[in-house]
Amino acid sequence: MISYELALPYSLEPGWLAPYVEALQKGRAMGRSCSKCGSVSFPPQRRCQCGSGEAQWVRLSGKASVLLRTHGSDGTFGLVQFEGATNKAVTRLEGFASEITDGHLIAPPSDVPALILAPSKSRSTP
Amino acid sequence: MAAVTGSAQTRFSRRTDGSSFRDWASEAFEAALLMATLDRADVDTLIVASESDFFTLQLNPAAILAGDLGLVGVATMRVEGGGASGQLAVHAAAQAIASGQARHVAVIGVDPSASQLPAATIKLLYGYSFDAWTDGMTGTSATALYALSYQAFAARIGLPDKCLDQIALQNRANAMLNPNAHLPRQHKMAEIADSPLIASPYRRLHCSPLSDGAAAIILSHPDALPGARGSAPRITGIGAASDHAQLGARQDTGTFTAKRKAMQRACQQAGIGPADIDVAEVYDAYAGAQLQALNVLGLSETLQADLDAQHFAPEGRLPINLSGGLLGQGAPVGATGVAQTATCALLLEGRYHPELQPKRPLRHALADTHGGVCTTAAVTLLSQADAK
Ligand SMILES: [Zn+2]
Repeated sequence: MISYELALPYSLEPGWLAPYVEALQKGRAMGRSCSKCGSVSFPPQRRCQCGSGEAQWVRLSGKASVLLRTHGSDGTFGLVQFEGATNKAVTRLEGFASEITDGHLIAPPSDVPALILAPSKSRSTP
Repeated sequence: MAAVTGSAQTRFSRRTDGSSFRDWASEAFEAALLMATLDRADVDTLIVASESDFFTLQLNPAAILAGDLGLVGVATMRVEGGGASGQLAVHAAAQAIASGQARHVAVIGVDPSASQLPAATIKLLYGYSFDAWTDGMTGTSATALYALSYQAFAARIGLPDKCLDQIALQNRANAMLNPNAHLPRQHKMAEIADSPLIASPYRRLHCSPLSDGAAAIILSHPDALPGARGSAPRITGIGAASDHAQLGARQDTGTFTAKRKAMQRACQQAGIGPADIDVAEVYDAYAGAQLQALNVLGLSETLQADLDAQHFAPEGRLPINLSGGLLGQGAPVGATGVAQTATCALLLEGRYHPELQPKRPLRHALADTHGGVCTTAAVTLLSQADAK
């Protein structure tokens, strides 16, 4: 057997995603608002589903509701809907009890642009 | 239409015998060439499917294998599309034949998915494959994304989790009769339902294993068939399609839209419909993915009832994954689609593993593969040479 270890120190440039990545590192949600139809995507999509590539960056509230969730040894993740976004997102769920569906984006523990949702204090929760 | 003159594969397993993917590729190629009754000098194109050079540590594996196989000088390429790599390579070969550029194409699918890197490393690499900048950095896993997609599907159709257990049970039972299978098992339902939870509702035994192995087919131009292979099955339809890599970008989380499109395209080319299919190898990286596939391929509109009636069992009206599928036979990723097509060709010829070969004559077979959570779909239809 040839045992061989390879380390790969990537330097990924965010490119057109730069506003999203920079905001996310601070726990803020920057989405893209289509100039043609007004749809807002978060996570941002370079080209809107209407076909237009013209868009402005807009700040969203970062609030989201959990539509589906999965848990197990791979972690806890959800398919969520961010307030003001047309598309959905897959996020990590931190500390969500099973009855809680409202959450908000938090800053990731390291510099990587991870989408992490923490539960919001909800008036409807007993 | 291209004829499948040769079909072969190695055993799929976690190799611990000191052999490398270059040995497995060679073993599969020699066996396919022998079945085709061709000489290596007849082969004018080599197409290699391998999911990632992270796995093989080999950029341009087609060039290395051309040397190993005594094919230096032929046209070579690698085809890659995640889990669909092997089926896309079959498509590339069929297109090379259809264009008239190639007479005999060797397609080899190979990956050392089990033994060459730790499973945790491969899981990490897969996590980045959906969108490294968003889902990947979030730390999602393939299993978690498949789980979310299946949940949406199961909720819409109204399927109980028991159906996942039934798929895993059936595919691994089929694998018991396949000497090349990685996970031949006679599971008990409780054993599956009690296996460790990976990403709800998926438990360990609902997931396919990472395997080592290779598969090879030889596709030949109908004007260049060796005398003994005139009745070899034909590839009558190929269809491919794509979807958003990010699950959240899809209109419908639970529907494999790309697979539906790929099937429609393949059926249109072949001039047949889902009701004509006699046997199918369906992509079952996860048990639920097979259910989602059967739905969009048009093979079942009453999934739970069909499962309960054993319609997809070896003796049923439409045997699915006689090989055991990825769940039972295993998944050396690049080899998967090639092995599915090889299995379909052997079944049509009546030359599959004797205990799995259906007794009744088969006219049309379907090989269905995808990459991502059905981000890249590739469907191939095979028919008897005299089917139309
Ligand atoms: Zn738009």
